[in-house]
Amino acid sequence: MNEEKRPGGLTALAVINFIFSGWGIITLLGLAALFAFFGKIPTDQMDANQKAQMEAFQNMGLPLFIFIFALTIISSVLLLLSGIGYLKQKKFLGRTIGNTYAVVTIISSVITGIMFAPELGGGFNIGTIIGLIYPVLTLILLNTTFREDLTN
Amino acid sequence: MNLKTPTISHVRLISLYWSRYALRSGAGLVYLLIALIFGLSVAHILIMPVEQLMALQKRQIGKTDPQLIRKTIIDIGQPIIQFVLGIKSFEEVTKEAAALQPGPPDNTSTATQPGKNAAGFDPWTNFLLEKKPALLSVIFLILLFGMPFVISFLAFNQISGDVQNHGLRYLLLRTERSNIYFGRFLGTAIFSTVVMAIIVATITFYLGMKTRIYPALDLAVWAVQGFLALAILMIPYIAVCSLISASVDSPFLSLVLAKVAIAGVLLIAILGSFAWKPAKYLLYALPWGWQNNLLHPAPAHWLGAVLASLAYTAFFLMLGYYGFERRDL
Repeated sequence: MNEEKRPGGLTALAVINFIFSGWGIITLLGLAALFAFFGKIPTDQMDANQKAQMEAFQNMGLPLFIFIFALTIISSVLLLLSGIGYLKQKKFLGRTIGNTYAVVTIISSVITGIMFAPELGGGFNIGTIIGLIYPVLTLILLNTTFREDLTN
Repeated sequence: MNLKTPTISHVRLISLYWSRYALRSGAGLVYLLIALIFGLSVAHILIMPVEQLMALQKRQIGKTDPQLIRKTIIDIGQPIIQFVLGIKSFEEVTKEAAALQPGPPDNTSTATQPGKNAAGFDPWTNFLLEKKPALLSVIFLILLFGMPFVISFLAFNQISGDVQNHGLRYLLLRTERSNIYFGRFLGTAIFSTVVMAIIVATITFYLGMKTRIYPALDLAVWAVQGFLALAILMIPYIAVCSLISASVDSPFLSLVLAKVAIAGVLLIAILGSFAWKPAKYLLYALPWGWQNNLLHPAPAHWLGAVLASLAYTAFFLMLGYYGFERRDL
């Protein structure tokens, strides 16, 4: 076991994974609440952009909603598992699951950009690039900088 | 005390190793993430309304009018830039903002109001808004203000961590303190410069490819200037962190002190000036007081700002080195 030699960056990566995983769970709760209160949220006080966003949500349909929900669950679970893997410096739990998270998130960002209305975060904008920062960094770091550290 | 002359080959080796090692250490990774998210979020917040305006134009008149969009950006950006540059007071800016309130942006918005053209601008505002891509100018001004707060996440642990765990003693068998001190400072500066380059390149590329409201050459030239301004500005702040890191034993204390020093000078100067006007000169204890001059049109101003950056860097760096060479490890 070389846990004592774990680089600070890998610990930081694990902590960030846990934070993002927790954020994903909060997002899930928010999505569930939004779905439960569809049609009951008063829109008369909202500006044009917020109204457009609400309309886009209402027109989204159940399959797309389930798709977002599933994607958020998968990402959160992968983040949590790979975070544990980084801390224990495991090859499968850390490197494989971490890479899987990165690839899944990158692909889902592309799909979201193509399928969703701009009001729902679809299309390509700087927000998309911000969303890709962490998965791309994960992919690069796991396969270069921390490649030799995830061997248990 | 015996101050040693650094050996170039050692400094080079240590700086290259340190800039690569920055990613393996938590500090480099956290800095990279925070800097990228901060830089791109600033761009996102500023570019998003422009994109919405373009979409609105497309819906209303069937096409986008880059000239009208540029004009709207100038009208909205002018009071903000004049406030940031210290040309106008907050009261004057809010008065102007109130006068510019008539309604949601459309093709008959503030852009077409009389008396809001370049004629009334001072040369600096005119340069940033009219001569250069205004959107990029506003982004650079915000980054110049915000990045000094972020840099300490990268630069806080240049020396203190190795002093705390006594690891430095083993390094000192092979090289001098001066090489370690200046090598690590240089490595941190290299890493920071690369991150700035990534941020500026991403924003410029996006503006050029997606919005297409400015000519590509203008964007590229201004991006290089903005990048150089950001890269140069980070150096004195890294030197402040070097000084602090070489003076204390704990990385956490070093981070806290760096944060307090960088933000505290700004805060005390601003708050203090409300009670006692001359307190504003405290801004000059760090580059806060003149750093916007790095984007000034007059060579005397920007060259002065560059030289001041180097002078501050030399001062903080030598002060830190003087203490580091004398201290017990």
